[in-house]
Amino acid sequence: MHFPRPIHLCLLAAALALPACQKPAPPPGARVELEYWDKWTGFEADAMRAVVDDFNASQDRIHVNYSSISQIDHKLMLATAGGVPPDVAGVYSWMLSVYAENNALTPLDRMAAAARITRGQYIDVFWRMCMHQGHLWALPSTPSSTALIWNKKLFRQAGLDPNQPPRSIAELEAFNQKLTKWRPDGSLQSMGYIPEMPGYWDSLWGLWFGASLWNGRDALTANSPENIAACQWIESYPKRFGVRNLLMFQAGFGNLASPQNPFFTGRVAMEMEGVWVYNYIKNYAPADFEWGAAPFPTVDPARLKDVALVEMDALVIPAGSKHSAEAFEFIQYVESQKNMEKLCLGQRKFSPLLECSAEFYQKHPNPYISNFVALAKSANARYAPPLTNWTQYSHDMNNAVNRIWTGKADTLDALDDVQQREQQIFERRMARWQRLAPALTAQWNNQ
Amino acid sequence: MDTRQHNRLLQPLVLVILIVAGVAFLAPFAWMLSTSLKPLNETMSLPVRWIPSVPQWHNYPEAIHGMGYFWRYAANTLFLCVMNVVGTVASSALAAYGFSRIEWKGRDKLFLVLLATMMIPFPVIMVPVYSLFRHLGWIGTFRPLWVPSFFAGAFNVFLLRQFFLGLPKDISEAARIDGCSEFQIFLRIILPLCKPALLVVALFQFMFTWNDFLGPLIYLARQKNFTLALGLENFQSQNGGTEWHYLMAASTMVVLPVIVLFFFTQRTFIQGIAATGSKN
Amino acid sequence: MTRKERRDRRTGLLFISPWLIGFLVLCVYPVLSSLWCSMCDYSVLTPAVFTGAANYRDLATDPLFWQSLYNTAFFAFFSIPLNLLVSLSLAILLNFKIPARGLFRTVFFLPSLVPMVCLAVLWQWMLNGELGLINNALKPFLGVANHLFGSHLQPPNWLLDARFAKWGIIFTGLWGVGNAVVIYLAGLQEVPAYLYESADIDGAGFWRKTWHITFPIISPVIYFNVIMSLIGTLQVFAIPYVMTNGGDGPDRSLLFMATYLYQNAFDYWNMGYACAIGVVLFLIIISLTWLATKLSEKHIYYAGK
Repeated sequence: MHFPRPIHLCLLAAALALPACQKPAPPPGARVELEYWDKWTGFEADAMRAVVDDFNASQDRIHVNYSSISQIDHKLMLATAGGVPPDVAGVYSWMLSVYAENNALTPLDRMAAAARITRGQYIDVFWRMCMHQGHLWALPSTPSSTALIWNKKLFRQAGLDPNQPPRSIAELEAFNQKLTKWRPDGSLQSMGYIPEMPGYWDSLWGLWFGASLWNGRDALTANSPENIAACQWIESYPKRFGVRNLLMFQAGFGNLASPQNPFFTGRVAMEMEGVWVYNYIKNYAPADFEWGAAPFPTVDPARLKDVALVEMDALVIPAGSKHSAEAFEFIQYVESQKNMEKLCLGQRKFSPLLECSAEFYQKHPNPYISNFVALAKSANARYAPPLTNWTQYSHDMNNAVNRIWTGKADTLDALDDVQQREQQIFERRMARWQRLAPALTAQWNNQ
Repeated sequence: MDTRQHNRLLQPLVLVILIVAGVAFLAPFAWMLSTSLKPLNETMSLPVRWIPSVPQWHNYPEAIHGMGYFWRYAANTLFLCVMNVVGTVASSALAAYGFSRIEWKGRDKLFLVLLATMMIPFPVIMVPVYSLFRHLGWIGTFRPLWVPSFFAGAFNVFLLRQFFLGLPKDISEAARIDGCSEFQIFLRIILPLCKPALLVVALFQFMFTWNDFLGPLIYLARQKNFTLALGLENFQSQNGGTEWHYLMAASTMVVLPVIVLFFFTQRTFIQGIAATGSKN
Repeated sequence: MTRKERRDRRTGLLFISPWLIGFLVLCVYPVLSSLWCSMCDYSVLTPAVFTGAANYRDLATDPLFWQSLYNTAFFAFFSIPLNLLVSLSLAILLNFKIPARGLFRTVFFLPSLVPMVCLAVLWQWMLNGELGLINNALKPFLGVANHLFGSHLQPPNWLLDARFAKWGIIFTGLWGVGNAVVIYLAGLQEVPAYLYESADIDGAGFWRKTWHITFPIISPVIYFNVIMSLIGTLQVFAIPYVMTNGGDGPDRSLLFMATYLYQNAFDYWNMGYACAIGVVLFLIIISLTWLATKLSEKHIYYAGK
């Protein structure tokens, strides 16, 4: 084989390197192309794509390209840190404080004020989630609240009134006793309630016990008496039913997005789920499925009424985006009542705007949509604490609950462990914020 | 029992052990292939069955479709492999020549330094190198994934140096007396003698780049720039339950090119390893 | 230095310049930068602030760091000898004069060609508690054992059981010994045949020949492979990362040092802390390599030295 001369190799390399070269800058006055990343796939993505298409059709200066990105929290961080973020991104509400304080987002205060978008137009809890350290970082796209969902038929079969859901934790456990069935070989056949179904919010059980994870100022409260009470409730499950029995029972859970969802096959009679549960029921539950939705029980229903975990998807402009003005134009378009209702109806959720057309409710297929809206508007609508170390904190809390659930640690040890570790991390973050606050605030005020 | 009888008994025993081990080593491949041809419900069934009831050949095109930009990922990966092979072979050969075929002061001490760099774990330099590329504005492009290969990795230099050391000194001497420059000696005389070793370096680099996951994970941002390895991981982590049949089909397609390449080059490859490993 | 020496040095340096530049830019600079960064509080998009040894103090009292250290040590402690045993044994077996040697060699080498992600995905499926091949192969054996001993052994849910997750990763790694086998084979073929022949005449059996001839002669190859193995296992990251879909395993049993480093750098916006972990990892690797070299100096035989 004749060995090619070095010069040939260099030319070959240069030729192959051409695709990696940057594109020339577009001529002035050309259409601005925006990259928009969001987490949705399937029909949820279709709902947003419809709004994107409307926006693109309504004017010819800006064109938005929608991409479905999996693990968006990881990928967005990498892209922003690397200096190549998308122009608009849809993030989970619990990411906002982390990203904002790490200077990964563009503040929206000025642009929102100029567009006359104000707090009063939204259900309060959603606006509050968009604020951090005195600045506006995002605007809501699709909201959600969580509720107790139950299978009315199974209630009837157990001799319970299908229209009277449990209101307190004690009642919940009493119903659980009645609805749980064992097999002759000692294994669980079906359960009334199991906290690990679906198990998305393990770090936040304290909310229904009057706990919060942060005192709002300088201390985390992972091991407060209320959080201990909540985890002791979790701990009571392996104590009552047996760790192995519960794990075997869970191992048999089918894919949640399928007819094998244990809630639909009657293996679990009650669960806590978000407003999107309607979509699962419509697509996968048997035709004659009867269900109800109500506020999830709390430890003291007289004192703690209508407690719900509220989350939302939010639109942000990552720091370093080259087209923030155009990006905001797109966000503003989505926030208008007509488009917001189209998006939320398409995803079968409710709207984060206070003003909502009667048509929206008429057209909405979810029979309990007003219950979910009421929960979002309740005084006890709560959300994940806006802490900079929330990623680690929630990871740690999930781990602690998992250890309690599998009998590896008792409540006090597990929570003390989390408290100690996370308090130290929190103090480091606070120290970092103290150091950087003047410079960052100045920067944000000017943006 | 004398040694010859002993050896005669050993031979079949060795064969049996190797056959059992061989089957164990091939089983995962067979399992991967088998799962890729099953419908989803059969992948989830017990007891385990090896042969699908009806081979679902359409799993393959469906997996390609499900991955999104499959052919783009393949093109991106191929591009990176070619660039990396060219860069590695060229720069490693040059450096290995400098460390072996020319006598100069400080050469061996510097080579010890080179050996020491093999101990530096990638995680240590990952963050600063990432920051460096960020300042250069290269994050999100392919450049961090192929430009470094033009700067001779320690392992390849080590390998090629071993080989160069094995070539007799007189051919270089004769050429020097004839008035050739070092570079001419390198290009016209030494390199042509090294084809097996160069092939080994090229193959190792091709396979490493084809497989590389961490690099693309942190340096690439836009989905359409992903490589096959990253695209496969993206496919795996999409929400909903894992679709094992599609995932195995996609994996089979990603594995296949490397295996095919190996089959075509294996004799030279083994030769090359033996040649470079000989002098220590 | 004479003119010739100076000229030779210039030529030498010119030839190694690609490596030299790479060394300075991609090795020296990052290591120094990492050292500096490890003494700062740095979250990428905000300016770095020098904090001295604060990160190291935090590391010393961080139970997660110690857990990652333990996990890495556990993995290396079992993985290195097992890999050595399996690869060396296979190489010795393959060195016999058996039919279809080439075919066997290929069979054992093939798995090491598999891309890391495919390997991780495939073994994630193989180690599935209910449906994976490993457990379904183990069930009959455990059934027999249960029958004989009245026990209730069940195959573990590998990647979801904190006690067995690391073993799952160790077994996955064993599948890729092909690389080492080929290198050992090359070394074995260098052993001069006359040594074996004279041993045969003296009446030495297989084990004695192996212990007194084979091992000493291939000791440099063993040393090389063990060092490479050491450096590799201490940095384990990609395979467990993909097998746990980017997580750290049940009860953090798959949190390795490189995993914790990656989490701090790219999940928690804590680059300074990540660099500190990196520096510690680097020091551990250097010390262990030095230790291994010191311990084996007496035992390595260099032909012709």
